[in-house]
Amino acid sequence: MNAGFELTVKQLQAQTRRHFMSNCGMGLASMWLASQADGAPAAEKKQTSKHMPHFAPRAKRVIYLHMAGSPSQLELFDYKPELARLDGQDCPQAFLEGKRFAFIQGVPKMLGPQYEFEQVGEAGHWVSDRLPHFKSVADRTCMVKSMFTSQFNHAPAQLLLHTGNQNLGAASFGAWVTYGLGSENENLPGYIVLVSGGKVPSAGKSVWGSGYLPSVYQGVQCRSSGDPVLFLSNPAGISDAIRRRELDALDRMNQLTYQQTLDPEVMTRVAQYEMAFRMQATATEAFDLKQEPEHIHRLYGTEPGKESFANNCLLARRLAERDVRFIQLFHWGWDSHGAAASEALNEGFKDRCREVDQPMTALLTDLEQRGLLEDTLVVWGGEFGRTPMRENRGGKEMKFVGRDHHPSAFTVWLAGGGIKSGFTLGATDELGYEAVEHRVSPHDLHATLLHLLGLDHTRLTFFSQGLNQRLSNVTKPSRIVSELFA
Amino acid sequence: MKNVITNIANCLLNLVAAAGALAAPPGNAARPIDFNETIRPILVERCIACHGGVKQAGDFSFVYPEMVLPPGGSVIEPGEPEHSELIARVRSQDPDLQMPPPGEHGQQLTQTEIEQLEQWILEGASWGEHWSLAPLAEPKYPSHINSSWARNGIDAYVMASLESANLQPSKSARPAEWLRRASFDLTGLPPSSQEIDSLDAACKQASTSEDLDAIYAATVDRLLASERFGERWASLWMDLSRYADSQGFEKDPHRDIWPYRDWLIHAFNQDMPYDLFTIKQLAGDLLSSPNTNDLIATAFHRNTQTNTEGGTDDEEFRVAAVIDRVSTTWTVWQATTMGCVQCHAHPYDAYRHEDFYASLALFNSSEDADLNSDFPTLRLPNDPAQWESAVKLQRELLELELHRNDLGSLLAQAVSWQPLTPLVASSSHGQIAASENEVKTTGGTFPIGTVFTLETPSTAMTAMKLTILPSSDDPQQLPEQGAIVTFVELIVIDAEGNERKLELQDAFADYLAGPYSPQDCLKSDNRGFGGYPKLLGPRWVTVVLREPLMAEENGTLRIRLEQKGEVAGSLATHLKHIRLELCNTPQWNELLDSTELVHMSQAISAAKIQLDETPGIQLPIIDQRDPRGARPTRMFIRGNWLERGEEIAAGLPAIFSSREGTTTVENRLQFAQWLVSDANPLAARVWANRVWATLFGSGIVETLEDFGSSGTPPSHPALLDYLAWRLRHTHAWHLKPLLREIVLSSTYRQCHTASAELLLRDPHNRLLGRGPRTRLSAEMIRDAALTISGLLAQDVGGSSVMPPQPEGIWQTVYNGEQWKEATGNDRYRRGLYTYWKRTSPYPGFLTFDAPTRDLCSPRRIDTNTPLQALVTLNDVVYQECAQALAKRALLETGVVEEAIGYMLSQLGTPTEVRPLIQSELQSLYDDVTSELAKMHTAGEGSEAAVSTDAQNSGTEPTLTLELRALTVVASAILNSDLMLTK
Repeated sequence: MNAGFELTVKQLQAQTRRHFMSNCGMGLASMWLASQADGAPAAEKKQTSKHMPHFAPRAKRVIYLHMAGSPSQLELFDYKPELARLDGQDCPQAFLEGKRFAFIQGVPKMLGPQYEFEQVGEAGHWVSDRLPHFKSVADRTCMVKSMFTSQFNHAPAQLLLHTGNQNLGAASFGAWVTYGLGSENENLPGYIVLVSGGKVPSAGKSVWGSGYLPSVYQGVQCRSSGDPVLFLSNPAGISDAIRRRELDALDRMNQLTYQQTLDPEVMTRVAQYEMAFRMQATATEAFDLKQEPEHIHRLYGTEPGKESFANNCLLARRLAERDVRFIQLFHWGWDSHGAAASEALNEGFKDRCREVDQPMTALLTDLEQRGLLEDTLVVWGGEFGRTPMRENRGGKEMKFVGRDHHPSAFTVWLAGGGIKSGFTLGATDELGYEAVEHRVSPHDLHATLLHLLGLDHTRLTFFSQGLNQRLSNVTKPSRIVSELFA
Repeated sequence: MKNVITNIANCLLNLVAAAGALAAPPGNAARPIDFNETIRPILVERCIACHGGVKQAGDFSFVYPEMVLPPGGSVIEPGEPEHSELIARVRSQDPDLQMPPPGEHGQQLTQTEIEQLEQWILEGASWGEHWSLAPLAEPKYPSHINSSWARNGIDAYVMASLESANLQPSKSARPAEWLRRASFDLTGLPPSSQEIDSLDAACKQASTSEDLDAIYAATVDRLLASERFGERWASLWMDLSRYADSQGFEKDPHRDIWPYRDWLIHAFNQDMPYDLFTIKQLAGDLLSSPNTNDLIATAFHRNTQTNTEGGTDDEEFRVAAVIDRVSTTWTVWQATTMGCVQCHAHPYDAYRHEDFYASLALFNSSEDADLNSDFPTLRLPNDPAQWESAVKLQRELLELELHRNDLGSLLAQAVSWQPLTPLVASSSHGQIAASENEVKTTGGTFPIGTVFTLETPSTAMTAMKLTILPSSDDPQQLPEQGAIVTFVELIVIDAEGNERKLELQDAFADYLAGPYSPQDCLKSDNRGFGGYPKLLGPRWVTVVLREPLMAEENGTLRIRLEQKGEVAGSLATHLKHIRLELCNTPQWNELLDSTELVHMSQAISAAKIQLDETPGIQLPIIDQRDPRGARPTRMFIRGNWLERGEEIAAGLPAIFSSREGTTTVENRLQFAQWLVSDANPLAARVWANRVWATLFGSGIVETLEDFGSSGTPPSHPALLDYLAWRLRHTHAWHLKPLLREIVLSSTYRQCHTASAELLLRDPHNRLLGRGPRTRLSAEMIRDAALTISGLLAQDVGGSSVMPPQPEGIWQTVYNGEQWKEATGNDRYRRGLYTYWKRTSPYPGFLTFDAPTRDLCSPRRIDTNTPLQALVTLNDVVYQECAQALAKRALLETGVVEEAIGYMLSQLGTPTEVRPLIQSELQSLYDDVTSELAKMHTAGEGSEAAVSTDAQNSGTEPTLTLELRALTVVASAILNSDLMLTK
C-alpha cells in the first residue's frame, strides 16, 4: 500500500470509528466512499474526496464523445481549398521523408476535400455538409484544429488520449477525475461509459480502466439494452420486496459477524449492500428512456431499446442531470481507409456522420436549455487525424476513397463549462498536413480540462512504480491552453 | 507424522539455542547512526529530487556514494562534519548557498536531521547498502521470546515486536476459523463441513498441546498434498505472468497458452523448487536438452501482448514485448522498478540508464517478432499423451533443418563467387537502378507483388547467390522494414528468343531465422527468404540449379525476383538493395546428390507430414535466434525506441555485477541462474514476502512490487530475512515446507477478532497481534460458492472455459470470436480456468479487483463496493449456486429447519453467533414463503421482476415454494461477510 492510498484509508478509518454505529452508511477502507459517493454526513463532506478541487472549478462534470477510428477532420471541420487544387497529384516528397504511415506506402496521391464546406453562425466555423444539424450549434463550440499526437495506430493512440500513456497500465482520464473529485451521486457510479452497439474501442476497456489507481475508479460500462449496469436486475422470481427482506436478514447476519470480529470492513460491506439496493432503483430509473417526452425523442432521434449513439447521448444528458461526474461515449466505425465500403469516405463515413450529427447537436441544445451546459464540459474527437493523401494500401489504388491514420493534425471541439464558445484555436498548414499554430498535445488537453474542473494536473498524483504518476506528462511539461477559456 | 514431530522438536531446539546465544542484551551506549534507517530517508526526501539518478545538479548524486565521498566526491568529508560541504550548505542562511534552495525546492532540513547528518559524518559517514541488497545472513533469533506462545522462529520475531509495542498476541483461533483460513490460503477452497467437524472432534480429544499440534500438522499436510494446492498458487502466479487466453490490443484474438497454466499447476503441486521454477520459465529453451515441460515453461514470457492491428509496426510491438519482459522479470523476482530506468537512470536507486539495456539485451534475441501467428509456437497434439513425442519430433526437425542448411551454407562460404552484373534491370512498379552487380530502388511505390526483372548474358553456372542488403549503411538505422524475395526464377533466352525456365533444386541460407525457410523462395506464394518481418542486416541465400547451366552464345539469362511478401496492414516487404553473384563449381551438384543431404531431406519431409497429420494447438514459446542472427541491442535515447544510441552488451546492472561471488551473466540462462544464486539476496526476500502477503493480506514489505528506496521498509526486517533464509537454505527453495511453517505458527493461528485496543493501536494489523482476516480473491469467491453448493467441477487442468456471463459483454472490434457459454461440467470449473480475454475480462472477476493482466500485476488491492454486491446477489452463477445449495441442503436433511443449519455448517459459522444467525435466516425463510405465496395468489408467479439477463440463467421456474424460499436464504448466506472473507 503506498502512502497516498494509505492516507485515504486512514482518513476513512478515523471517520468510521466515529460514525459507523450512528450512521451505517459509512464504512471503512472503502475506496468507493472516498471516491465514488459523497455519502458522508455534511460535516465530513470536505474530507471524503482526497483532492477536491485545487481551485474554483469552471465545470463540474465531463461528457466525452469519442469517435473511435478517428473521423477525417478534412471532411468535417478543417477546410483546405489548396488541397482540393492538388487533388490527384503525387504527394510531395517532403511529406514522406522519414514518415511512417500505417498503410500508405511509396508515393501516394493527394486527396481533396470530399464534401462541400460553408462557414456557419456568427463565429464562422467551417462545417461540411455532412453535419447539417451541427451547423445550428456550431457557435456553442470551440474548435481546436491543432491537435496532434505521437501515435498512429488506434489502440496506442486511444490509450495516449485517454490515459496519457500509449502503453497499457495507466489510469484513464475519467478515473483520474473521479479520483480527484469524487462523485455527487451516491447511487450511481461516478464514471459511466456508454458504447454504441456495444462495440468497445480498439484499445479495449483499458481506455476507461483504473490502471495503477484502485479499481473502484474504473469506468463502469453501462448498457442501453439489458441491464444498464451489469447484474443490476434481481434474478427471475425475486421481487423487490423479497430482495429487501433478504438484505434485512443479510444486514443483521453481518452485524452479528461484526459484533463477533469487530472487523470494521464488515460494516462497510453492510453499507455497500444498501447502496447496491438503492442503485438498483436509481440506475434503472436513470436509464429508462421511456420517461422522456416525445419531443425529446424527436430532438435526439432516439429509439428506446437500441444501443445507438443517439440513445447514449440522451442517456448522457440524464446522467449529467443526476450529477454523474464523468460520462464517456464511444462511437465507432470512423476508420475511413477506403478499404471497404462500410468505412470509406464516400460510403460508410456518410452513415457515421448521420448517426452522430443529430444526437450530438441535440445534446448541446438540450444541455443548454436545462442550464447544464455551463458546468458540463463536452469534448468531441477521435484519437488522431487522417492524411491529406489518399490511402494506397498495398501500394495500389483502392476501389473506395479513404485516408490513412495521421498523427500530425486533427480537430477536436469543446463546449460548455469554462470554454470560449465560437472560438477557433490553432491551424494546420494549407494542406492540413501538420498542425502549425498553437499545437495541442493530448497531455495539453488533459492539463487544460483538469484545470477547468478545478484540478492542478501537477498535483493530481498517485504514487506507483516508484513515481508520482499523473495524467499529464511527467517528463515533458504539459501546457494549460488558457486561450480556450471563456 | 514422525517427521512432523521431529521438525517441531528441531524448531524448538533451534529456538532455545538461539535464545541462549543471544541472551546478553546489547550495551546501552548510544547506537551509531544507521545509514539506511536515518540518513538514506533524509537524502531521499530532501536531496534526491535534484541530486539523484535522473537530475544530477552540480554533477553529483546521492544515489552513488562514489560521487559524494572521497576520493571521487567532495561533498562529505568522513569524520569532519565541519569541513563537509553538505553540512555547510544545509546550515547556511545565505539564499545563494542554502540547500535545499529556498522556494520551490521543498522544505529545509530540521535541526534534528542536520544533527543526525553531522553525527553520521562524525562517525565516519559509512554508507550502507540498501537493506534489500544486503547479503542474506543466517538468522539470529530475538533475545526475548515468550516460549509458551512461540511455536517456531516466526513467532519469536513477531513476539519480539509485539512486546516492544507493549502488546500481547491474541488467543488462538477456533479450529474452524483456522481451518477456513488455512484451506483458502493453501488450496483456495473452503473446508467441507465434515472436515470442520472432524478437526473439531479431534481437537476436543487431544489431551496435550503436542497432540493438538500434531493434529494441525496432519491437517496442513493433507491440504498441501491436495491437487487443489497447485491451482490456488498457479492463480497467484498467473497475475504475475500476465496470463491471458488472448493476444491483446485491438482485435485481441485467441491464443493457445493454457498448457502453461497446466505447467504452473503441476509445478506447484510437485513443489518444484523456486530455482528450477525460475530457470525453466526464463530460460527453459536454453537448457542443454529441454524437454516438453521446459519448453512449455518458457511461455511465461510469451504472455506479452501481440499487436495484430493492421498497420502497426511489428518492431515497435516486439520491442514493447521485450521491454515488458525486462520489467516483469525485475518486478516478479527482484521487486525492482526497472521500468524507471528505461528512459533515464533510476531516480532513487543505483541503476544506470544502460543497465536497462543490458537486461534488454538478455531478452532481445528471441525469435518472436510480434507476428500475428505468435511465431514461434510449439505444436501440441490434442491428446496430451502425445505431447512428449510430438515435441521430440519438432526438436529433431529443427535440428535436421539446421544441419541440412549448414551443409549448403558452409559450401557457399568455401567456394568462390563471381559478380553477376545485370545489363538490364526493370521493375514492375517503382524505379530501380543497377550498378555493377548491385540493384537498388530509387523511387516510387513498390506494392505487394512487385517483380524485378534483371538480364545478363547467359553464362555457365551451378548456383546463384542473392544478398539482401539494408537500404541504409548506418547500423543505427537498423532494423528496417522487412525485405524478402518470395520467388526466384531463372530463365534462359536463346539467340532466337526461345525461353527456357531453369529448374532450381534447392536453396541454402547464411543461417536460419524467422518463420520462413530458404526453400520458400523456390515457389510462388507470399512466403520467402530474407529479413522478415524486419531486416536486421545483410542476408544471403544460394539457389542451386538442378542441372549445371552451360554458357550459350548470344543467350540471355533473365532473373525474375517476385516479392509478394507483406506484414500486417498490407505493407509490402519488398527488396531495396540486392547483390548478385554466381558460382560454377560442380560441388553444388555433388552436394545435391550426396546421400547425407538426400537422407536429411527425406527425414524432414517425413517429419513434416507426420506433424501436419497431428491436429493440435500452437503454444507460443520463447526460442533463441541463431547466434549469427542475434539482434544487437542499442540504448533508446530517453526511452524512445526510434532513437537508438550506443550498442550495449547483455549483462547485469553494475550494482550486481560488481558484487563479490557474482558469476558471468551474458545470456538468459546465466541470468536466471544468477537470480536464484546466493549472490542475489533479493529473489528469496521477494518470494518469501509475496508468500507471506498471500496469507496475511499484506506483506512484511507492503510494496510487494518495490523493494527499492521508494518502496515501504519492512515492518519486521529480521522476520523477512528469517523467512527468506529458511526458504532458500533450510527448505532448498521448496514452497510447501515454508507454508507449513507459517500456517502452523502461533502467529497465523491467532484469532482474527480485533479487540478495541488492538484496533486503535494497530488498525492494519502490521504488528500481527491478531490473526489475518481478509476478503477472498475474485476467483475464491466464485470457487467457494461453487464448492459449498456442491457444483464445483473436480477436473484439474485443460483449456479455458466460458461460464455464463451477461450477453453483449464480449464485443471486440474486428474480431468475430464469440463467448460460447459452457454447458455441463465446464460451467462450474474453478475460476482460474475462466477464459481470460484481455480487452474484455470476465466481469465478475474484474469487479472483485482482478487485474486485466495487460501487464504483470504484482499486487491486487482489495476494495469493497456496491457493484460487488450486485455480482454475488444477481450474477447467474450465484443464482445457480444458491439454488443448488438449497437443493443440496434439503436433500441432505429433508427438513427446512435443518437445511438452514446444514447450509450454515458449510461456512463454519462461529458457534457464538450461530443460533442467532440461524433464527434470523429461519425468519427470512418464513417471510419469503408467505411473500411468495401472496405473489402466487396474485398471479405474479415466478416471472416477476425478470431481467433479460436472468432469462438465460438456466434456473428452473417450476421449483417448489419451499425450495424457492430456501434459495433466497442460500443467497443471503452466499452474500454474507462470513462467506466472502477468510
